[in-house]
Amino acid sequence: MQNSKRERRKHKFSALIRALFIPFLFAAVLSLISAANGKAMIPNRSAFHNFVIYTAIVMLTTMALSINLNSGRFDFSLGAMALFSSLIAAKLTYAVLGGGPGSAVMIFVLSLAAGACLGLISGLIYVLLRIPPIITSLGVTLIYEGAIYTITGGRYVMEEVQNASMAAFSAHAVYALIIIAAVLGLMIYLFNYTVFGFNYRALKEGQKVAVHTGIKEIPNALACYAISGGLMGMVGFMNAARNTNINGGNLNFSSVGIMFTAFLPMFIGSYIGRFINTEIGFFLAALCMSMLNSCFAAFSNQINASAQAIINALLLLLFLIYLSNENLLRNVLQNTAGKRKAADHD
Amino acid sequence: MKKNLRNILSIALSCTLLIGALASCGGNGEPSAEKNQNVSGKNKENPATAEGGGEDRAFEAFKTGVLVADVSGEEALAFRDYYENYIAEQYPIEFLYSEQLEDAASERSAIEKFAAQGCKAIISFSGSDRARQIESCEENKLYYAVASGMLDDKQYEEHKDSPYFVAQIGPSMETEYNAGREMGKYFLEQGAEKIALYGAFIPNPMHVYRAAGVLSGLGLSYGGSDDKDAVAGQIFQDQGIKLEKVSGDQAELAAYFQGYGDTTTDELNAAIQAEPDAFISVGMATTFFTQQLNTSAVPFSDIDSFTSGNRKAMEEGELTYLAGKYSSSVGPVIAAVINAVNGHPLRNEDGSALSVSQDYQVASDLESFDRYFKADRGSSPIYDKNLLDQMIGQDTDLETFTKLVHNPA
Repeated sequence: MQNSKRERRKHKFSALIRALFIPFLFAAVLSLISAANGKAMIPNRSAFHNFVIYTAIVMLTTMALSINLNSGRFDFSLGAMALFSSLIAAKLTYAVLGGGPGSAVMIFVLSLAAGACLGLISGLIYVLLRIPPIITSLGVTLIYEGAIYTITGGRYVMEEVQNASMAAFSAHAVYALIIIAAVLGLMIYLFNYTVFGFNYRALKEGQKVAVHTGIKEIPNALACYAISGGLMGMVGFMNAARNTNINGGNLNFSSVGIMFTAFLPMFIGSYIGRFINTEIGFFLAALCMSMLNSCFAAFSNQINASAQAIINALLLLLFLIYLSNENLLRNVLQNTAGKRKAADHD
Repeated sequence: MKKNLRNILSIALSCTLLIGALASCGGNGEPSAEKNQNVSGKNKENPATAEGGGEDRAFEAFKTGVLVADVSGEEALAFRDYYENYIAEQYPIEFLYSEQLEDAASERSAIEKFAAQGCKAIISFSGSDRARQIESCEENKLYYAVASGMLDDKQYEEHKDSPYFVAQIGPSMETEYNAGREMGKYFLEQGAEKIALYGAFIPNPMHVYRAAGVLSGLGLSYGGSDDKDAVAGQIFQDQGIKLEKVSGDQAELAAYFQGYGDTTTDELNAAIQAEPDAFISVGMATTFFTQQLNTSAVPFSDIDSFTSGNRKAMEEGELTYLAGKYSSSVGPVIAAVINAVNGHPLRNEDGSALSVSQDYQVASDLESFDRYFKADRGSSPIYDKNLLDQMIGQDTDLETFTKLVHNPA
């Protein structure tokens, strides 16, 4: 009994170490690179605020992307949802409060609600049309981008999101920290301790079997779309606060870029999730991305935007190569160790 | 029944997708589709014979296409407001605005659309490729004028004799350079040593010359040179400013970035994290970055215009220096266009296209800001109808016109 407990504790500790390995590796390598060049990765308070807000944005986008992607539903419309929901929220809030106190809270709540509705609409279209989700999501992206363009006339929306209330959000990390904690807690609970979560995981692992056991896949898919939309609503709000505008001129899939920021953290997060909870994995992956982003900021005079994009793409490629050849790599390492042991015996 | 309902729903949703896709196609529609272009012009009750420009004068009513690269900035909106809500009330002109133009191809496409819509003239606020704009206007037999800017000298020499090229009225490259230099000098005199510079939309020539001027004002050389044209030439060649090529003892360029896109917020954050003494912009910073710079308490400057947003930034925020235009400063260019369309174009003495440089006004406090801001409001602009009437008509001579451009008061 005692031994079993000890084993379990040992196993948990080992899993924790493996889960934290990548974030620590990122922190160590990036700190070393910064220090070697006489810089700090997070040199001041302003850099810390940016670090936390960026972590929140990446974590939420990654979660929103993975909810549907893990079930085989590729959703291109996430970026358009973020923009559209924040636009609706900003316009409504400005009409009511005129940029006065409480604007940020109202935009946040409305953006979350609008995002959930837009996600649900996207899900309904998928469910009703019954064509591959990748196709419906392309159509939904165009519809949302077209609607944004029609409302804004292709202009940046600025007045509606430039006020003291929104400025306070982006100037203090505490609000983003609260969002991270709340969303993380809620997502862990929702996907691990509720009937919805159990059904989601059953459907993810084998839809046919799950449906035969009586799980209704349509309500579950719609809920996934709504949750994903709600998360993107929050991302839209945070992007609006961070950029101090909403770009109304996104056409022909140019909003898709928002979604692509989540690819690398999604793979890293899923990998970390093997050793710990998947949602925490996404959070740790977002931390890694934010560290990388902060490091880019520290070296912004040396590494320009296009070089940063290349580095990100290379990291994604390397990680995918590793994931695809993980077993092969393990076999090679084990064989080498085995041969070494045999040589030692001889 | 259920199958039919599903079919109907599928068809309805497919139609919605199709409509959405078409709506999002933006500028690629048919030339006659006015849905993508905002039309204004209040004085158009009888377009063929509408009168304007004074009791004793009758002008031909006409449509003018306006090429714009900026559709959101306060300066751009102020210019548009002046044309649509003042000029269109006073003269029989209908303004058709383009979408946000990002490259030479979209400028050319917009000109072709305007031609198909019956425009007689094009006023350009977009500078991706002005030489090609003139060529497109010649092909489509449209009068062409540059507002709030100028062609570079070589381009002007090449196209100045075109009968369709009416005028260029705005700050010359020399003026742009001097505006940048004065801005740099100002901060140096204020004791700023660590500078963050925003290059706006380099290689747009006016931004190139302003940036070259800022470096000169800060006592910095670029690529080992202090010469205006040599520095501007190198910036053109580099398509931006390379920090390793900047040298000088009086100030340090701690951060530099340009353009506006997905990575701009990160670049701005990086510039703010460098803790500069001042953030100098050669354009558009007041449009995009005012809130972040105010929040970070970084004193900043820009070359923009005298608008209410900039007044607020100067009164309550960190905007400490503004070299600007006022909204009706684009009035003379419409006067030149009216003259050309009505058959009496005003040309230089050698017959070339009119080229008049406009200076910037500088404000470094609220009092100097209000001198221009308050004098140029809505229904009583500096270039009001009385003043413009002196610039319009057969009797107007080059000397009077130029004098009024330089000194409207």
